[in-house]
Order: sequence, then C-alpha cells, then structure tokens
Amino acid sequence: MIGSRVSRRYAKALLSLGQEDGRYEEYGRNLQEFSDFCKRNEGFFQVISNRLFSAEDRKKILDAVLEKTTFSDTVKNFLRLLIDKNRVSGIHELKDFYLKLTDELSNVGRAQIITARPLKKEVVNRLEKALSGLTSKQVKTEVKEDGSLIGGLVVKIGDLVLDGSVKAQLAGLRASLKH
Amino acid sequence: MNHLAGKTGKSAFVAGCALIALFFLCGVAVCAGGGEHGAAHEGDGRLVNLGARAINFALMVLILYLVLRKSPVKDFFSRRTEEIKQKFEELKREKDSAESRYAELERKLEEFEVKKKEIIEQYKAEGAAEKEKIIEEATKRAKQILEQADLTIQRELQTAKNILQRELLDLAARKAEEIIAKEIKDSDQDKLVNEFIDRVEKLH
Repeated sequence: MIGSRVSRRYAKALLSLGQEDGRYEEYGRNLQEFSDFCKRNEGFFQVISNRLFSAEDRKKILDAVLEKTTFSDTVKNFLRLLIDKNRVSGIHELKDFYLKLTDELSNVGRAQIITARPLKKEVVNRLEKALSGLTSKQVKTEVKEDGSLIGGLVVKIGDLVLDGSVKAQLAGLRASLKH
Repeated sequence: MNHLAGKTGKSAFVAGCALIALFFLCGVAVCAGGGEHGAAHEGDGRLVNLGARAINFALMVLILYLVLRKSPVKDFFSRRTEEIKQKFEELKREKDSAESRYAELERKLEEFEVKKKEIIEQYKAEGAAEKEKIIEEATKRAKQILEQADLTIQRELQTAKNILQRELLDLAARKAEEIIAKEIKDSDQDKLVNEFIDRVEKLH
C-alpha cells in the first residue's frame, strides 16, 4: 500500500515533466517498454532491484541496457533516480498508474476484450467504435482468449463489465430455473 | 418455722430435765430401800420399800403432769397434723391437676390423630391431582414432539428435494455446456459477437 502510494507520486512527477515538454505519451511508451523488458528478463530486474548491490553497480547495468534503447533522456534519468531511491522494484505499478493518468489526460479508455474464439480485425475495430460511442472516449483494446466462455465475449472497461458470453447466458438460465 | 423450731427445742429441754430428775429420785428411793434391807425385818422392809416406790411413783406422775402441761408437745402434734393435712390436700390438688392434664393430653392426642388423618387425605388428594397434571403434561409434550418430528421430516424432505433439483439443474447445465461447446461453430461466434456489438451500439 505504501509502495503503491510512492509509485503514484513518482508517476505524477514524471507526468508533470511530460506535460511541460508535451512528450508525456512518449514517456508512457518508454515506461511500457521498460516494464515489459523487466518482465521478460527476470534476472535483470532482480539485479537492479536488489539492494545488496551498490546503486552505482546497478546503474552501470541499467545504463548498459539503456544505451541500446531510444528512450528519452528524461525517462533514462528517471529510471536512474528510481535506482538511487531504491524504488525501481515498483516499476510495474508505476507504469500502470502513469498510463492511467495519461489515458485520463488524453481522454483514452482502455478495454479488455475476452473472447472464446479469435476475433477478426474489423470486428475489433467495430467494437472499439461502439465502445467509444458508449464511453465518449477513445477506446484502446487488449484482446485475450478464454475457451471456458464457450462462445461470445466479455468486455471490461474501467469498472464496467459487459458480458455477452454463452457461459454467462447459461449461468443466468440456471439461476432463473433455480428460483 | 424458726419460731416453731425454737419452741420445740425448749420443750425437749424441759422434758429432758424432768426425766433426769425422775431417774435421780428413783435412784434415791432404791438406795433408801437397799439400806433398810440388811438391818430390819424382811416384812417391814417390804412395806417401806413399797411406800417409797409409791411416793416415788406419785412424784413422777406429778412431775410428768407439770412438765407435759407446760411443754408445747400438744401444739407440735396438732401443727404437724395440720401440716400433713395441708400436704395431703396439696397432693390431692396436684393429683387432680395431673389428671386434668392427662385428660387434656389425651384429647390433644385424639385431635392430632384426626389432624393426621386429614393431612394424609389431603396429601393423597394432592398427589392424585399432581399425577393427573403430570400425565396431562406428558401427553401434551408427546403430541408436541410428534408434531415437531413431523415438521422436521417435512423440512428434511423439502431440503432433499431442493438439493436433488439443484443437482439436476447443475447436471443439465453442464450437459448443455458440453453440447454447446461441441456444436458451436465460427459462424455462431460471429453471430454472437455481432449481436453483442449491436446491443452495445443501442446503449449509446
């Protein structure tokens, strides 16, 4: 909880910098890439977040990685600062909160689509458009597959859940028969 | 009482003195008789002895008369008679009192007997009433238990019925899921998705 609060504070600080130079979306993308990289390279993430190693050593390792990237200098310095303050372990939370803030700023809504079978691109586009009309926001979607739904799909956007799956329809039918 | 004792003591003293004087006189007479015995004739001696004895006796009677006339012996005996009479009357009164007490106790005993019988009868009646009450309560309780058991059976039956119904529904739903999962095609999925999007669009 305390870590989450600190991550939010750092995310807000980076966003205020991004708002000043108008590059907050780029910073968001950089954070997303770094977070994904850490997830893919667990050993690297454990080393840079382990306090047993000195901050200097950890920064050297981080720099070796950052040299290969096209991240903005602000983001690079921000990541170094996280190592100095021993807050790099909360990078994933920080990224999530930062993206949430940028979405609010850009009037973007993120929707998670869970489908029983793969969706065609045009269907996803049509769905995005429908959801944009519903939420009055530009909707960006993330599609996941879950065979247990049997058929249909489920859309989660913020606190709103729209369940159009066969599984939910069968559960409703069962509940109505029980009563 | 002390006064009476004092008087009695004085009388005894006077009587004692009289008896001593009597013995003394008798002794004098005997001695006088003895002195004559050896020297005079036997016939004269007997007459003198008889005379001395007669005088002696007369003196003794006189002294006794005087002494007894002065002493309170008579009063003593009369008082004693009175006391015995009083004592007798007192004892008679006590005897009467004891007899009346005895009669009273006998009467009370009879009363107790009657009361005892009454109490026994009362307890018997109460016991019978209590027995009736207990039997009535036991009958009522047994009826309640039977009703309760009946209700429990009904409830258990309903619960079992509900469980069976639920299991049947779950089984049917699972079976339906299996059939739909096996039979569903891509065209069905497309139809479902399109219907979903249509519904979302209608929500605008």
